[in-house]
Amino acid sequence: MNLMRPVLLGLLCLANAAGATEKVVTDYMLNCMGCHLDDGRGYVLRGVPTLTGYMGNFLTVPGGREFLVQVPGSAQSDLSDAELATLLNWMLQSFSAQQIPADFVPYSAAEVARLRHRPLVDVAGTRASLVRLINQNHAKQK
Amino acid sequence: MKKYWFNKFDDVTELLLRQNARTGSRRSFLSHLGTSLLGIGALTLLPVYRGGASESVDKNKDESGDPNSCDYWRNCAIDGFLCGCCGGTNTSCPPGTTPSDITWIGTCLNPTDKKNYIISYNDCCGKSTCGSCGCQRDLNNTPIYRPQTSNHLNWCSGSQAGVPYHCSLSVVLGVKD
Repeated sequence: MNLMRPVLLGLLCLANAAGATEKVVTDYMLNCMGCHLDDGRGYVLRGVPTLTGYMGNFLTVPGGREFLVQVPGSAQSDLSDAELATLLNWMLQSFSAQQIPADFVPYSAAEVARLRHRPLVDVAGTRASLVRLINQNHAKQK
Repeated sequence: MKKYWFNKFDDVTELLLRQNARTGSRRSFLSHLGTSLLGIGALTLLPVYRGGASESVDKNKDESGDPNSCDYWRNCAIDGFLCGCCGGTNTSCPPGTTPSDITWIGTCLNPTDKKNYIISYNDCCGKSTCGSCGCQRDLNNTPIYRPQTSNHLNWCSGSQAGVPYHCSLSVVLGVKD
């Protein structure tokens, strides 16, 4: 996490110096960064989950892949299905590459369209049970 | 020729050193040196917010207008009091307040270079409401039922300092297009 931060900050600064920011980075800045912050570290003190070094864990448990699209910050954003798919793939690679399983297939616009139209009612409850599964998997691996 | 310049340099150095030795004591030199070192050290202790790496981006840009005026281009999506009127600037919180970590991010068109910039409206928190230069422009703001793009929230609830809201910054994070 500490290593990622200067790299990402550097990328953001590079974008500034070179002129227009890359589209996917702009989408992250305008839709996610306000709460998840510049390097995805989030703000746990105020209930904003950490993406850095963690987000990819959701792909390892049943329902987790769906959750990343259905969580309100994703599903209810102003982004198109294709933009959201690109952004989620970028975030996974940028913030949590080490946690992504080897057989991961990147999100497509069609998959995002299908998933985001099935609203997640109990967001906190769903997340808590997914995190419990992730923790159980980690415990087994140790 | 070269030797001549070296000799001149030596002469001037010697003259200055001798003059210094004649007119000032060793203690006065040490005291001046100490004062300078302390002064440089104390500068960094002043209560100025230095949180933004984006400050350098902020300064290298073509722009016009008064940051303390509500119609300043960066204020296009602001809802609050302008920190420049409250003892800070439009990119630094007034002394005694802390910038919110989580924040509302929007875009504004810079009329000087006709580019859209990504602007972060961090709230400065920890003191009661500033009350000067109130400004509400709300471009691209969404109703509160879409909270992730609503600027009516008190973003101080996402700061170390807690809920008391003082004023808002408008920090440029990058160029959108």
